[in-house]
Amino acid sequence: MTAPAPPAPPSYRSTVAGEARDGFGRLLLAEWTKLRTVPRWTLTLLAAVVLMVAVAMLSASDSGSSGPEEKRSPTAQLQIIDLGHYTYLPLAGDGSVVARVTSQDGGGAWAKAGLMIRGSAERGAPYAALAVTPGHGVRMLTGYRRDGAGGGTATAPQWLRLTRAGAAVTGYASADGRAWRRVGSVRVDGLRGRALAGMFVAAPDEVEVRRVFGGEIISGKPGDTTATFDNVAVSPPAPDAAWLDRGGPGGPAADPALDGSTRSGGTFTLKGTGDIGPDEFAPDVTKATLAGAMIGQAAIVALAVLFMTAEYRRGTLRTTFAASPRRGRVLAAKAVVVGLASLAAGLVAAFASVLLARPLLESGGIAPPPVSDPAVLRAVVGTAALLAVLAVFALAVAVIVRRSAVAIAAVLLVLLVPEITATGLPVAAARWVERVTPAAGFAIQQTVTRYDAAIGPWAGLGVLCAYTAAALAAAAWLLRRRDA
Amino acid sequence: MEATIEVRGLRKRFGSTVAVDDLSFTVGPGRVTGFVGPNGAGKSTTMRMIMGLDRPDAGAALVGGRPYRSLRTPLCRLGAMLDASAVHPARRARDHLRWLAHANGLPARRVDEVIEQAGLGSAARRRAGGFSLGMRQRLGIAAALLGDPPVLMFDEPVNGLDPEGIAWIRGLLRSLAAEGRAVLVSSHLMSELEGGADHLLVIGRGRLIADTRVEDLLAAASDGRVELRTERRREAMTVLARAGATVTTSGSDALIVTGPTAERVIELLTGEGVAFSGISAHRASLEEAYMELTKDALEFQAVAGGEAR
Amino acid sequence: MTGGTGPALQAGRAVRAEWTKLRTLPSTAWLLLALAAVTVAVGAAVTGAVDTSHCVTPAGCREDTPKLALSGVRLGQVAAVVLGVVAVGGEYATGTISVTLAAVPRRWAVLAAKAAVVAGAVAVAGTAGVLGSLAAGRGILSGNGFTAANGYPPLSPLDGPTARAAAGTVLYLVLVALLALGAGTALRDQAGAVTAVLGALWLVPLVAGMVGDDAWRDRLDKYAPMSAGLAVQATRELDRLPIGPWAGLGVLAAYAAAALLAGAAVLAARDA
Repeated sequence: MTAPAPPAPPSYRSTVAGEARDGFGRLLLAEWTKLRTVPRWTLTLLAAVVLMVAVAMLSASDSGSSGPEEKRSPTAQLQIIDLGHYTYLPLAGDGSVVARVTSQDGGGAWAKAGLMIRGSAERGAPYAALAVTPGHGVRMLTGYRRDGAGGGTATAPQWLRLTRAGAAVTGYASADGRAWRRVGSVRVDGLRGRALAGMFVAAPDEVEVRRVFGGEIISGKPGDTTATFDNVAVSPPAPDAAWLDRGGPGGPAADPALDGSTRSGGTFTLKGTGDIGPDEFAPDVTKATLAGAMIGQAAIVALAVLFMTAEYRRGTLRTTFAASPRRGRVLAAKAVVVGLASLAAGLVAAFASVLLARPLLESGGIAPPPVSDPAVLRAVVGTAALLAVLAVFALAVAVIVRRSAVAIAAVLLVLLVPEITATGLPVAAARWVERVTPAAGFAIQQTVTRYDAAIGPWAGLGVLCAYTAAALAAAAWLLRRRDA
Repeated sequence: MEATIEVRGLRKRFGSTVAVDDLSFTVGPGRVTGFVGPNGAGKSTTMRMIMGLDRPDAGAALVGGRPYRSLRTPLCRLGAMLDASAVHPARRARDHLRWLAHANGLPARRVDEVIEQAGLGSAARRRAGGFSLGMRQRLGIAAALLGDPPVLMFDEPVNGLDPEGIAWIRGLLRSLAAEGRAVLVSSHLMSELEGGADHLLVIGRGRLIADTRVEDLLAAASDGRVELRTERRREAMTVLARAGATVTTSGSDALIVTGPTAERVIELLTGEGVAFSGISAHRASLEEAYMELTKDALEFQAVAGGEAR
Repeated sequence: MTGGTGPALQAGRAVRAEWTKLRTLPSTAWLLLALAAVTVAVGAAVTGAVDTSHCVTPAGCREDTPKLALSGVRLGQVAAVVLGVVAVGGEYATGTISVTLAAVPRRWAVLAAKAAVVAGAVAVAGTAGVLGSLAAGRGILSGNGFTAANGYPPLSPLDGPTARAAAGTVLYLVLVALLALGAGTALRDQAGAVTAVLGALWLVPLVAGMVGDDAWRDRLDKYAPMSAGLAVQATRELDRLPIGPWAGLGVLAAYAAAALLAGAAVLAARDA
């Protein structure tokens, strides 16, 4: 078949090739156009927002109707506890307090015995404290935060010294009262002018778990501890000042066997119950308000899965790859677009939830922390970020399994495993499930550190991100390897 | 050269089925190249491999001298319609073209231009789910033309269309080729390409059977066989064999001559003084020529059935 | 199409046709396997995590051991949902539905045949999962302190309340699959149907947990498909249940029937 070759005709050149542009931004625009031009998908995004806000309103309005509310105490509002026993002298300005903790008994590894300088005896007042613990060394504590700074293995007997210069308080520890070691220094906002200086004991709650009827009842029981102090000195000494006590909130009815101080010569014995720090049983109002994300995620997951499986089902994936042969970039563009769309929906839903639930909560006697609170802001923005990462995770799973029904079911399954299995599981096992499944990402909604927290907010989101990264890597590999 | 498709040693198997087997051809500019073969012959698979959608087991395909997957703005190099139904039904036709334009950074006016060119008109504002087959084909063609590419590829573009639609597409393809573009059109029916294609690639069982100009194929089919009736068979065979023809006997007084034309046979026999009682040239149609070429492939189709993918 | 045209024969043919379709879908076997395997594995994991260490006394736990052993269905049911949705959603997606409706012109009969086939397949896989869960639970529970001496007799599917829990759980899975089939037919969209059914099963109880109002929480516990349907798993402290075992399963059956009716209506109204 060798016909004489016809004269080579002039080859056509595209008239628009010069204007055509390649770039990730164009790809994002293309994917965004795809998402926005299917009305059902934009409605799904809207549904996610509506569901989240509706759940927030529902939970907020019901919490108000659950009984007559008395005015809450300031510590409850701040979600802190300020218990234990405190024996103190006034401190007019700068100065220091020194003492030796000679023994410490009871209350567990986190029982605290040491020195404290605080603004007033009122509960919730600003303070700085230095304490020795049986299991966690010498700790510098402030701001009703957990654990504090410091550490080591030092235990009683231990010399402690706390010095104040304006709002700055510095703690020192010593084994023998001669060679002092600086433990740490804190700035106590609100510590000005007259203050108090003295000794304190505190012990965290003991968490009690009781299993009955196939569920677990968890309760906190204040722990009790006793410690002895000697070589106590507050300088400059306040003339005519007598040692005062602040015990548990029980008033005169408080059990003297558990709460009080006795003095014999230069030796003080302090007994106290309860801790000074965050209230680990406090309700997390912000988290409850944002719990609608658990419901709204169903719509986000469905959208993200469909955004991919629709391309398989309708055959448009071939058109997509014909226009953009670099498949990894297409996947990246899809992930960015569906992630950003979910982020935007999440931001709207989360801010609307918190702001709209606020008046309902307040009418029910609950004062939710302001949105400007860093933890609340982290939870609100984090909820949006959570939905964005969830969407990318769902997209990656959709690439891997290619079937919408299976992908949606699989993603919802792994995200809801802790919720579905939680009833009946012991707390320890349930916490473990919450830590290792992608659902750990919901930890970003925590605003207070509760006894049942499985994982920290950022660590939890990190777990979800790790799963997402792994799924995305698998998806990219499969997408490149498979025929379209 | 911009407007070419080059396929070299392409091979692809799906499981135990060999879909494309050592396929090599070139599609040149300025003509409509028909890509013909029975269902399951490997046409669609080959087209997908040209576009980098399927990964070949061996060989390579180049578009304008480069692998498709290395192209940065491929819509300006090759426009294709592989499956006209590949549109999200909830999306408006115009939006479908719009995202495609965005993907290659094409100017927005191109969307309007191809809507005009493909005759979509006001239907472009409707959702693709309600489109008739004909409208879907027009949308697919509009998408292929978006980047004004020098190479165009259409998989079964007239399948299921009414005669009017077929005529429109045929005219469009010819005019596109006339501008100097390379146009590759697949079909499982030779009749669909009659009067439409200048060049033919015939494929069967994944192998290339013929790569020929249409006029050459017709000529080859026309002067393929001459039936000769003569009393003097031995002399006739000697004369014709000496002239390079292949001669076989058929019946008591008939000879089948392959090689020279009927005119040449008459000339040879008359020159040597060999008498004959009858001569007839067998003039095959394009369809028949094609059937002859794909006889083996059709047998395969009966066994395997269906469109391989 | 030779032979009789009696209704029984027609129905038999429709069921056989549907069975062939379901059987030849590659996903069916995997989903049925997943249904049984996830039920047994999750049930065993949950059972293994529970012991008597936090009980006042082992007997004081009042642990509902058959319910604990069968808790895997809470996750395993996802396979029944997907199977129900795919059985009909796959036909809408590929357009096979027109062929199906042409072959069996009486459309409600198509849905009935599909329901029979899906119910049968899920019942078989569900029975395997339930018996496997009970067997696994029997081995694990005694090692965790739930012994006969402590008032927890070994699990046996022949024991009255345990038999009810076991049979009820199989029925629960069947009803969930039928609910999914009805939803898939009515919504004509796999993604939407799966999301809706899983949302109804998994998310409504979550909402119930978030609601502070006791009356509403009680109503949600009573009428949410999963919490009502799984009441049938309880074998002790029945007076503590928000709804009786069989009544709860009845609530789920009502949902499934409503979904199937809606599906039949959509099928009848649709142009084939």
